[in-house]
Amino acid sequence: MTKERGYRFRRALLGALACGIIIAIPWISSKYFMMMSIRVMYFGMLTMSVTYLAGELGAVSLMQAAFFGISGYSVALLQSRYGFPFPIPPLAGLVIAVLAAGLFGLLVAKVRGIYFLMLTLVLGQLVWALANQWSAVTKGDTGITNIYAPTFFGISTETSKTAFYFFQLVFFCGAASFLAALKRSPFGLMLRGVRDSESRMAMLGFRVNLLRYAAFVFASLVAALGGVFFTYFTGLINPHSVALPANVEALLAAILGGINSLLGAVVGTVILKTLDVVLSGITDRYMLIMGVLFMLVIMFARQGIVGTLMKYWNNRLFLSRNRDPERRPSGFSKKPEVFRNP
Amino acid sequence: MTGKRILQLVMAFFVVVWAFGAAHGASEIRIGVIGPTTGWATIFGQDVLDGVKLALSQKDYKFKETPIKIFTEDTKADVEVMRTKLDSLKNRDKVHLIIGPSLGHEGMAAVDWAARNPEVPILVGYSAPEDMTMRKATYSLVRPGWTGAQVIFNFGKFCAKDLGYKKIIIVGQDYAYPWDQAAGFIRGFLENGGEKVERIWHPVEAVDLSSIMAKLAGMAKEYDAVLCNSGGAQVVAFFKQWQQFGLDKLYPQILGQANVPITPMLAEMGDTLLGVYSSLHYYDGNPSPANVKFRESYNKAYGHYPSVMSLQGYDAVNVAFKAMEAIDGKVDDPKAFIAAIRNVKMTADESPRGPFSFDKYGNPVQNVYIKKVVKQDGRLMNIAVKTYKDVSQFGPYADMPEKYMAAPATTRDYPPGDKASYFKEIEKYFGKDYVEKLEKNKGWTD
Amino acid sequence: MFITASGLTLSFSLMRVVNLTHGAFYMAGGFIGLSVLKFSGSWLLAVLAGGVATSALAFIEERFLLRRARGNDLIETLISLSVAIIVGDLVLVIWGGYPRTISIPEALNGAVSIPLLDTIYPVYRIFTVGLALVIIGALWVFLKKTRLGVTIRAGVDNFEMVSALGINVRRLFSFVFTLSGFLAGVSGVVGGTFLMLVVGEDWRILTLTLIVIIIGGMGSLGGTIVGSLITGLIHSFSTAFIPQFSLFVLFLPVAVILSIRPRGLFGKER
Repeated sequence: MTKERGYRFRRALLGALACGIIIAIPWISSKYFMMMSIRVMYFGMLTMSVTYLAGELGAVSLMQAAFFGISGYSVALLQSRYGFPFPIPPLAGLVIAVLAAGLFGLLVAKVRGIYFLMLTLVLGQLVWALANQWSAVTKGDTGITNIYAPTFFGISTETSKTAFYFFQLVFFCGAASFLAALKRSPFGLMLRGVRDSESRMAMLGFRVNLLRYAAFVFASLVAALGGVFFTYFTGLINPHSVALPANVEALLAAILGGINSLLGAVVGTVILKTLDVVLSGITDRYMLIMGVLFMLVIMFARQGIVGTLMKYWNNRLFLSRNRDPERRPSGFSKKPEVFRNP
Repeated sequence: MTGKRILQLVMAFFVVVWAFGAAHGASEIRIGVIGPTTGWATIFGQDVLDGVKLALSQKDYKFKETPIKIFTEDTKADVEVMRTKLDSLKNRDKVHLIIGPSLGHEGMAAVDWAARNPEVPILVGYSAPEDMTMRKATYSLVRPGWTGAQVIFNFGKFCAKDLGYKKIIIVGQDYAYPWDQAAGFIRGFLENGGEKVERIWHPVEAVDLSSIMAKLAGMAKEYDAVLCNSGGAQVVAFFKQWQQFGLDKLYPQILGQANVPITPMLAEMGDTLLGVYSSLHYYDGNPSPANVKFRESYNKAYGHYPSVMSLQGYDAVNVAFKAMEAIDGKVDDPKAFIAAIRNVKMTADESPRGPFSFDKYGNPVQNVYIKKVVKQDGRLMNIAVKTYKDVSQFGPYADMPEKYMAAPATTRDYPPGDKASYFKEIEKYFGKDYVEKLEKNKGWTD
Repeated sequence: MFITASGLTLSFSLMRVVNLTHGAFYMAGGFIGLSVLKFSGSWLLAVLAGGVATSALAFIEERFLLRRARGNDLIETLISLSVAIIVGDLVLVIWGGYPRTISIPEALNGAVSIPLLDTIYPVYRIFTVGLALVIIGALWVFLKKTRLGVTIRAGVDNFEMVSALGINVRRLFSFVFTLSGFLAGVSGVVGGTFLMLVVGEDWRILTLTLIVIIIGGMGSLGGTIVGSLITGLIHSFSTAFIPQFSLFVLFLPVAVILSIRPRGLFGKER
């Protein structure tokens, strides 16, 4: 009994500490660091979207950035071109992105494994093509600039980065909690069941396709939220945000951090975005290094950084009752699908 | 182990980061250079950087006695990355001046950033969208470069008056910069005797232009010449397929936009470019001493000849130096610095391109040269066949900039390419007297 | 277009791996060919060299990297993705960012008029079509008549039986993968002569190749032919007539087909 309380106490302490630090960031760190944190948050939401689908459903999606972009473009257009006042553009952006996910989901839900990856790659490219070429609306390659972040109760998140930071923090935590709640809920259980053995789930009477569809839509909602903040913070949007490299980077971050935990998504994003800025000061060979890193992680540390660390720390830090995390199944170590039908 | 250790690690991490963010040393001048130095747009960023470095090395990396430090950042041709790097140059490196960026969309985002961050002067590198120094102009952004339309207005006139063409086809990449070039050309062409310009756009990355080539072959009877309005790989593709389809027998030599006969292209494509006409605010064959010095020292330092992008970097540094001389090196006062920059006038001896000064929007008033690719001393280069002096970004509309800016911004179809609709448009925005003046003088007065 | 696609379809069908490195091989092959051409002056040699070099790369990739993850398609695909990124950057390092071009050999230069169609058409393009037909023919013969070919086809149809029969599946995989790498490299040089070599071309080619295969169907050679024809036509037409939506128009049928009929038009039932 006391051991149980011991775990919980340590966990709570760590959690409180982390929260405290995160809230204090605008005051204890440099402007530069805060800006990086903001970036990590909006890209983090995109990564979480990929992580969720990959970890919970075993489906690797290369199109999450498309939803990021769809909501971003909606905000950009509604706000700067048509001048709708504050809560309308982001709300509309989210709705439009979710509708798009609903549409694409119809195509995507029925598809499995490799085909899922390919289909999402192609669909992601389709959205990119649209963003790039429909210049009458999206202004093509130039993109849309001139977007200003909203003002609340007289405090402008545009001029005060601190205000923006908290504005985003609220939604970021909201998104993370949303996904975490999904994971803990019966829905999450069903989803993981589908991931591990679809045929069994189908036999047990679950509507497998519906589950996949729902997961897809939920994930895209989170990605779309990230897109809203991206657009507000950078003040612009262009096709590059939905292009293939953006999608690949999101996947990279997800894998680096570990697809089985949302924390992994954040850690992966931190690593990617920090390396991005730091490396490019030292060497031009950023892509090469990322490619090698990606390869190493995939081959040797499939759980990603958080996953691998968790294995060791859980045992040492007594943070969890489960001393043996090997018990937790993951999306990447399934048995070969040799005998499966697509 | 456990909690305490973690706490220690976390604190250590923050201390490190904090220290990183701390202010820099006192007496030095810090210049940030930003552009795409990796990826597909590398030459546009790297050449500007090389020009900057050359200029700085000629000054020994110091101004009077103060050392100069440069910080280079790569945008990867991505605007979000650029925004982040601009912020870090300002907040982390605390630079006094930023030189860059190079690409069109980067430029538009940069002017947006400049409007929100007016304390950091920006000297634009190669970016050419006109709105950066027109509709969206902001005080802290000055462009010692050019706009797409500025350098091509007179080319249109040249083709109509000097080459006698009446109908022209423009084939180009479908994005803002070629739209600007096409628009400028159309204005010059149609207002000086031309009759029609047909625009054919293709996706930015398309390299298979066969259907377009076939189309051009079919249009040969009606049209007089073709202008290649693309840059980079698409130019190579265009010229190659032009020959493959035998179009060199149907049309006279190709006309080019600004990015066609640039030095790297001359090196790559060789003799296929002979005879190509184009126009720019700089020509590499310029025999002026400033240009010769620039070219030879660049070649010595880097092993190949400079491009117009390198020129931009080079000129930007020289403009900055002239400004610093005027304020005696007190770059910590951004207002004074920016004002000094805007007042700079470069003479023909100081800049490889010729003389220039800034208009009130921050863009240069400079010479524009109609150039032709020839072979001299066994090397391919551009020589000037005609020079137009004191051309502003508004071209022939220099005395009515507000009217120009009130007209719609260029798009892929605007301004219209046939004479009748075009004249209706200019009458609407520039007034009947302008049209009458055109008709009386049969075009622009030189 | 076809040559690249056939390589990809081979590797996919047998090993159920979508080799995302294919695009990078195309580009690398092209650049290697360029260097060989500069060196030797022989275009033919350049083509062969490009193909051989990439097949070597493919072999290495397969042997050392992919083998470790055998059986898990997703991982293999991701590994191939990482290799693609690496190769892409290496190409940038070695050959620089400028677009380059390979000159068409004299014999194939120029244009001929085709009296029937009343158009002028470049000789080189006719040559490429011819080459593609030759390769199709060779592959067809190989797959249908030779023992190895039959084994491969058997493997495509029924993977587990083949291994149960004791045939050295590993070597088979290596061979197939290497062959597909060869095809990628060759198409890189041929394509590079025809269009050009640009950094970034690897992803474009990959996307187009994927589209071809998805439309035509995996594992089917005939499907690949049809797929490349359709893709090529759509691409050309849309570029000429609706450049605003050309890419969109290209991707749309793909998306539809993948969801309704994931096997593609001619794909085998799996």
